[in-house]
Amino acid sequence: MSLGYRLVLWNKHKKTYDKIIVSGMLIYIVLFAVITLLFNSETSIETLIIRAFGSLAIIMLHIILAIGPLSRLNNHYLPILYNRRHLGVSMFIAAFIHGGFSSFQFHALGDTNPIYSIFTSNMEYHSLTNFPFQVLGFFALLILFTMASTSHDFFLENLTAKVWKRLHMLVYLAYALVILHVFLGAFQQETSLFTIGILSIGFITLASLHLITAFKEAKIDALSLAEKEGWLEVCTIDDIEEDRAKIFTVANERVAIFKYEGNLSAIHNVCKHQGGPLGEGKIIDGCITCPWHGYQYLPGNGQSPPPFTEKVATYELKLLGTTIYINPKASEEGTAIKPCKY
Amino acid sequence: MTSGQRKTHKYIWLTLTICIPICIYLSVKNLSFSSKNTLELKSEITAKKILKTKQNEIVKVTTFKNSHSNSIEIILKTPIKNATAVAYLLNKNFTKGELIGQITTVGIYNFNIENEIEFGVVIYDALKETLITKLTF
Repeated sequence: MSLGYRLVLWNKHKKTYDKIIVSGMLIYIVLFAVITLLFNSETSIETLIIRAFGSLAIIMLHIILAIGPLSRLNNHYLPILYNRRHLGVSMFIAAFIHGGFSSFQFHALGDTNPIYSIFTSNMEYHSLTNFPFQVLGFFALLILFTMASTSHDFFLENLTAKVWKRLHMLVYLAYALVILHVFLGAFQQETSLFTIGILSIGFITLASLHLITAFKEAKIDALSLAEKEGWLEVCTIDDIEEDRAKIFTVANERVAIFKYEGNLSAIHNVCKHQGGPLGEGKIIDGCITCPWHGYQYLPGNGQSPPPFTEKVATYELKLLGTTIYINPKASEEGTAIKPCKY
Repeated sequence: MTSGQRKTHKYIWLTLTICIPICIYLSVKNLSFSSKNTLELKSEITAKKILKTKQNEIVKVTTFKNSHSNSIEIILKTPIKNATAVAYLLNKNFTKGELIGQITTVGIYNFNIENEIEFGVVIYDALKETLITKLTF
């Protein structure tokens, strides 16, 4: 949490996860090299490196972008989401090797500034088939660099969660630029239905996952709750599992109602760290624990336990029989509200 | 995510779902995937008629002619120490004539040329303005 910063917060699981990332990347590079040399022994080492790392970065970008909606659709993917940042930085390294080698190979060996050369060596900006696709890759790499270099919690804290989130949503622009970089670049020179098909399937899968999730979430947002004297009827006690929560949309915001040790408490569903859904987490050691990165809040007041300083809005609850009602007006962040006993 | 972020994500993906397929379609619509075209291209390449060929220890030069154009293939066999190497046609005085193109590393270079090659090819160091090699037909 925000008390102090270490360069990388490694724990046993993260180390295992990082080993899987590194091994996966190495296996891919070796396999790519072997297959390429088997089928095209005349490929130069520079071309091999450029293609291997370029394709690796694209595959990793697809995996990264699929993790979010997959974990919204199925909780089993949450551990991957928890470690997504390391995967993102690894993907940037692969993309940087691809971009760096390409810039050196095609633009650094002349007497022109390589960056200037990327923009001016091909001026057919009006043509789709001969478009200077390297420019698109350059901008995508710039976005990925910005994201990788600000991925640490230090920047999240200092830029504020809102600005940080907006900055990191540029990944979608980077994704569009990467797709066009490939379609207007490599595919123009080496037309292959197979590779075009693979990338198209990747895009269709990603777009479908994101849209299915978006419409599912919109449906939840649209659910209206019955009102009774300014209180909204949400559910019964039995609808909520012990040490877990149920999420409702109250005044356009998601609220998580937790049930624990004979108490009911409601807090704003959005974690202060990276906007994780607190209601999908559970109560561990008396604290609501965010399923994304493990940030914790006390259910009674929405505050992170000392010495941490994060806090979320809390909501009043009341019980009529076994039916739970919520006051839709949020209290100030970190306001202590007496839990509703049952 | 907040409700605003959820909406932003939805609109971003709706936009990408519409724009990317359009861009992909426009970028691949002029590409040739059919095997027929590949065969036609292959037969066109093999239909090229070799006009002249000559080589020395540095380069091998072959000139071709097909129904549409003339072309020249320059194979650089050994690395050259010069910083720049530019190939020219030889004119009737056996001096540097029409520009063909630049030669860099060892490999095969193909250039389309307007007229038939009559006298030969010369490779010059463009910076030092010195002769690297000359092949006369």
